[in-house]
Amino acid sequence: MTVVTNPGTAISRPQRWDRPFGPDMTDADVERVLAQPIFRDIDPAQFPASLSLGDIIRNDARIQRLSAGDVIVREGDYGNSVFVVLSGRVRVVLDGTTDRELGRRTSHDRRNFFQALRQLWANPRQPEVRDVAAYRNGGNVNVRGTAEDARTFIDDLDTFLGRHKTVAIDAGEAFGEIAALARSPRTATVFAEGETEVVELRWQGLRDIRRRDRGFREYVDGLYRQRSLTQHLSESPIFAHLDEATLQRIAEQTIFETHGTFEWFGSFKQVKQRDPSEVLEHEPVIAEEGHYLDGLMLIRSGFARITEQLDHGQRTVGYATKNDVFGLEEVLRHVRHGEELCLRRSLRAVGYVDILRVPTALIEEYVLPTAPPSLLPRTEADGGKDTMPAWAEQCSDLDMEQSLVDFLVDNRTINGTATMLIDTDRCTSCDDCVRACAAAHNNNPRFRRHGPIHENLQVTNACMHCADPVCLIGCPTGAIHRHPSGPVVIDDATCIGCGTCANSCPYDNISMVEIRDAAGDFIVDSATNQPIVKATKCDLCYEQLGGPACQRACPHDALIRIDMRDRETLAKWVNRK
Amino acid sequence: MTFAARRLRNTSIALAALALMGLAVWLHHLALRDTSFLTGWLLVAAFIVLAGYNMRKKLPFLPLADSASWLQVHVYLGYLTIALFLMHTGVKMPNGVLESVLWVLVVALLVTGLFGIAISRLIPGALTQHGERIIYERIPAFRAQLASEVADLATKSVEQTASGTVASYYTQRLQPFFARPRNFWLHLLGSSRPRQAMCREIRSLERYVAKEDQQTLDEIEARVLAKDNLDYQHAWQSLLKGWLFLHIPLTYAAIVVAVVHVVLAYAFASATS
Repeated sequence: MTVVTNPGTAISRPQRWDRPFGPDMTDADVERVLAQPIFRDIDPAQFPASLSLGDIIRNDARIQRLSAGDVIVREGDYGNSVFVVLSGRVRVVLDGTTDRELGRRTSHDRRNFFQALRQLWANPRQPEVRDVAAYRNGGNVNVRGTAEDARTFIDDLDTFLGRHKTVAIDAGEAFGEIAALARSPRTATVFAEGETEVVELRWQGLRDIRRRDRGFREYVDGLYRQRSLTQHLSESPIFAHLDEATLQRIAEQTIFETHGTFEWFGSFKQVKQRDPSEVLEHEPVIAEEGHYLDGLMLIRSGFARITEQLDHGQRTVGYATKNDVFGLEEVLRHVRHGEELCLRRSLRAVGYVDILRVPTALIEEYVLPTAPPSLLPRTEADGGKDTMPAWAEQCSDLDMEQSLVDFLVDNRTINGTATMLIDTDRCTSCDDCVRACAAAHNNNPRFRRHGPIHENLQVTNACMHCADPVCLIGCPTGAIHRHPSGPVVIDDATCIGCGTCANSCPYDNISMVEIRDAAGDFIVDSATNQPIVKATKCDLCYEQLGGPACQRACPHDALIRIDMRDRETLAKWVNRK
Repeated sequence: MTFAARRLRNTSIALAALALMGLAVWLHHLALRDTSFLTGWLLVAAFIVLAGYNMRKKLPFLPLADSASWLQVHVYLGYLTIALFLMHTGVKMPNGVLESVLWVLVVALLVTGLFGIAISRLIPGALTQHGERIIYERIPAFRAQLASEVADLATKSVEQTASGTVASYYTQRLQPFFARPRNFWLHLLGSSRPRQAMCREIRSLERYVAKEDQQTLDEIEARVLAKDNLDYQHAWQSLLKGWLFLHIPLTYAAIVVAVVHVVLAYAFASATS
């Protein structure tokens, strides 16, 4: 019998390198890159034919040709690539750069009382009104290029150099590897001193080379271990009480690893449409229930789902985010009750997770004897797990309904540090929140009062100011950045309206708007006559007195901006009676 | 703090305040002084604070405490105001025209306030339970979308089966139903009869139509249910938003008349003395 299938529309199966990072890389460019000190000792034989070293460089790297003053990375940028200087010289600013130097006009101070009051009569009546004079009179940052290829540059380089302490990085040297490896903000601004060429290797390529070549891995990991690891360890409450020498000893034996995919936000919209039973299949297992526990796992960045086996499925019993540890209860049970070092639960990468794995012996030797008791879980010798039945409503760890926990983790709402939740059992739809938001933003509401709903809990379409702010990745001018006070904000002066952040936001919380002048007419590009577009979103009222206007405006206690890492407050809020 | 604990705390504070006010009025009375001036000024003060909540709403960018706290003060001070009002007026309708107008305005204000807080607490949960919660301003757009889909289904039915049954039912019953919000009062009364009746009609039609039209009728029924939910949301959300259009104008009217009342009260008091 012949099986006939409907041919439908045929396309080539999408491949990893369908869209190379740098589309213009030639064979000569690849050879030139591979001749750099950081790459030249790598043995190409370690790479399979389908993933050769040359192909990695050809597709995951790009060469940037820079002029004097061109900013390569800004302090605070979200890093996802490493750079190697090919020719010329770049300089690292050691004493920090201000927002103003980078062209941003973002205020660091809250408004005073009278500036706040002025909004009562000074807010424009038209939507999205901007001060055209500010753009014309050098309000905009110096930008070369357009859209994603745009690059900011320092105008008066000599004055800038005179004002700052900088250090040079010459041809052959690498920079930016820590931020790329740890998906953390860049710690310093780097710019080209003169005509310079750098090769930028994106995260995927860095990961593949690091995975296969021991020398490269040791070099990059060594830099990370030397420069940042002890600091990362000390940020976790469970290690915070240890002295520098002990942390250094632990750091020397700590393994770090990444799970999931760096660019999880691209596939998240498809994940959202999947059947709940399929969601877990797409979350890589970091540590599996029943397996031997070789080290305490500290989440460096990203977020993970904690599950336990229940019949033929996995039940989500909690989630872990930055600085949470996994496996501590098992280690304690081993020490206190002599139980086997077996994982009682599984840990899965939701999106992207960066893990530090600290050997169990070190935890037993250094951490447990001195850790504050309040940080250690209770471990009665019960001989087994207290598994909740499948029909139980309450999630065993979080004191919330199981279905709510599934909803929050499946929708990756746990990424938010200021997620807007609305209790629809209390919300009267009065829209005071929307009006207050508009009043605090020149008459432009910066969120939409709708979004995914579970029972009576709505996760509203407002920027969540994510712990893993993927919207920051790829902004060509650094307009979207994390404000020193915490929220992710967009600097209007430096935004060039490319839409990269709006496309990256997995939660559709960034809007692109056409801006107007004071008369209400659209501001257009003088060259093309097309409207100028800017990215806008919630800024958590960082400039306003008193904090987020939406939350303060809700008369019925129906709305909260909540840090999803604070599971205790979250449980208290959703269980209010 | 749980809502129950907050209720207990606020009720205790309100009762204590009431006892203090009662004591003050009683001492005033013992001193053979006219208590109506004391209760009158307390009422004026209460009105100023109560009306101040609306001002707070207009200044969301100022650090003037959160709106939820203001509402708590507004509600419990409102309860106290009822007691004060009864002390001031003596639980009877006044004689003069102006005083009667003021009395009616204040009673209407207090009644609309009590009604408002009651529906604000009771309706949101019911809306969530009933079906998809729709943003009020989007209801017309959703209704138009459903109306268009049903019109398309009716047209398709005529084209597919050359039968006029579904089309006739559309022009007679469905088109008017989808044209605007329906059954406003019945929804407020909690009646689902119109919805059930329409579903019954659709199901009874299924006996007489071709197989293709049976599926069309199923799709129409799904849209009828969706439209019914829109009507339900429209009715209750209209009420949730609408009561303030009584309460706030009444506030301003009462304040204006109260000012005149105070002036006249002092004028006549000095004339008497």
